[in-house]
Amino acid sequence: MSASQSAVRSRAEAVKVSRTFDWLIIFTLFFVVLGGYHIHYMLTGGDWDFWTDWKDRRLWVTVAPIVSITFPAAVQSMLWWRYRLPFGAVLCILGLLLGEWVNRYLNFWGWTYFPVNFCFPSNLMPGAIVLDVVLMLSGSMTVTAVLGGMAWGLLFYPGNWPIIAPLHVPVEYNGMMMTLADLQGYHYVRTGTPEYIRMVEKGTLRTFGKDVAPVSAFFSAFVSILIYFLWHFFGKWFNGTSFTQSA
Amino acid sequence: MKLIKDKVAKLSFVALLVTVTAAMFYAPTASAHGEKSQAAFMRMRTIHWFDLNWSKDIVPVNDTMTISGKFHVFAGWPETVDKPEVSFLNIGIPGPVFIRQGSWIGGQLVPRSVSLELGETYEFKVLLKARRPGDWHIHTMMNVQGGGPIIGPGKWVTVTGSMGSFVNPVTTLLGDTIDLETYNLSNVYFWHAFWYGLGLAWLVYWVRRPVFVPRFLAVEAGKADSLISATDRKVAMGFAVATIGVVAFGMSSTNAAYPVTTPLQAGLIRGMKTIEMPVATVNVKVEDATYRVPGRAMQMTLTITNNGDSAVRLGEFNTASVRFLDPAVHEDETGYPDDLLAEEGLTVSDNSPLAPGTSRTVQVTASDAAWEVYRLADLIYDPDSRFAGLLFFFDEEGNRQMVTVDAPLIPSFI
Repeated sequence: MSASQSAVRSRAEAVKVSRTFDWLIIFTLFFVVLGGYHIHYMLTGGDWDFWTDWKDRRLWVTVAPIVSITFPAAVQSMLWWRYRLPFGAVLCILGLLLGEWVNRYLNFWGWTYFPVNFCFPSNLMPGAIVLDVVLMLSGSMTVTAVLGGMAWGLLFYPGNWPIIAPLHVPVEYNGMMMTLADLQGYHYVRTGTPEYIRMVEKGTLRTFGKDVAPVSAFFSAFVSILIYFLWHFFGKWFNGTSFTQSA
Repeated sequence: MKLIKDKVAKLSFVALLVTVTAAMFYAPTASAHGEKSQAAFMRMRTIHWFDLNWSKDIVPVNDTMTISGKFHVFAGWPETVDKPEVSFLNIGIPGPVFIRQGSWIGGQLVPRSVSLELGETYEFKVLLKARRPGDWHIHTMMNVQGGGPIIGPGKWVTVTGSMGSFVNPVTTLLGDTIDLETYNLSNVYFWHAFWYGLGLAWLVYWVRRPVFVPRFLAVEAGKADSLISATDRKVAMGFAVATIGVVAFGMSSTNAAYPVTTPLQAGLIRGMKTIEMPVATVNVKVEDATYRVPGRAMQMTLTITNNGDSAVRLGEFNTASVRFLDPAVHEDETGYPDDLLAEEGLTVSDNSPLAPGTSRTVQVTASDAAWEVYRLADLIYDPDSRFAGLLFFFDEEGNRQMVTVDAPLIPSFI
């Protein structure tokens, strides 16, 4: 077969090769994103995502969306501008959550016996679906950053509240009041995670009474917009071909 | 194509085989906590644990045990370690093989961080409930912000039974009793499975048709707009509306189901109650101190002055949780860990009772393999080569008084 001849001999064979190529790329992309995004999120979100007694209404709400909108923005950029595929954010979150669940179940529970109800990951899927839909409907990076990024930050806390609310029921324990999540953190000993490194309920946001979560969510949404722009451009650059040598 | 698939399958199988084989040949059990690796000066000059008691050696699952005792926060705290202004009474165990049902300093529950004062002595207790069967090395531990974990002595405790029978009942302020071990688990699984399923449905909607090559060619040909159909838009809007609707419904139904929730609790506890230690009537001056490397022995020249009204003898030198005893004066009856106890490790050149109002200069030698085993000899390589510890003097009636010592240490290599 010479270089000028086609590798396939019929349209049916071309379609078959194309689909095989699709599955190979999707499989590879899924696990590459899973690995990279998981490491990124563990390094930046870390304990806020690991433990229920870190999932507070100020810092978790603020930090988690900001550090997690990164990969979705970059992968969206690649899949949308090259292929008009609007599932970049959802693909990232599917990968991240699969990696996190494997980690939490096999490592946190299987190796070190922390109960899963203490170390389950945050739910990022509602924001991801809306981010993808906004990109698809608008076809605009700017609109996606502003509306999608805003939704990403705002949907995070209500999307997680049904999961964590039962753990915020108060309990009286030896003369002190704490939540069940606090009690989990106290009962299930973490030798390397002393109480003082817990960054919860810190800050100067004290003029909104008990309704600080929405304020934190709005701030997080605002920063998520900026981070979206940044990482969308990272994705665009990373997905370019300018750094490859032409033949 | 088949060739590529076969190669990928073959390589994957080989990789799996190598991983499993490697794990079979070498997967040692990690059973200690690196206590010997911690800088010797840090263990000697920060927190001194004493009068420790592990209430049980064998504990069935669901049964409890306590670790109690005292700790002295050393006044000569090293400059290279942050002061214990934010500290946390922890426990050194390999994961939650026990749960910590309670921990107290001076009778105050300390689920949060506390502020400790230099030079003060505190009483503590930790209540543990056995959760996972096995032999576990249980250490006392104080985490200090900016200083790291300061680990105390450890003792082996055996947990018997089955982890499957472990329960952790807690009664909430609303009067419900729940098992914290499994509470909320089905709710967590349900919501994660639901959202994962919805995300997967969105992905499947797009990948069920040709994905990369034809779409790439269309985009390159300037026909990108034709790749998103009106149906796609409707489906997308359906997903968005469903997402926002489920989030709103989940939020409101959760608020209805759990009308009373509180924020996470955090904060520093100050003003911990200290032990009013009796004023020491024995005064000790360290004239010099050397560590003889070949003999694994530390020698001190001490000038001891007894300002009290009864004669005293030196019975114990305690440093970095290693206890050197003079058996003629004091014997341990608490079941202290053997590896940390030098029952005959303390010799004093003249340990006859020191009468009130008199003074004597003596040679004190603390020798035991523990200097090497616990890497205390590495002190000579530390950035602040000083030793410190607690001396315990006893009078004829068995009354004890504690004196701290802190002085430079000169190594001797011959």
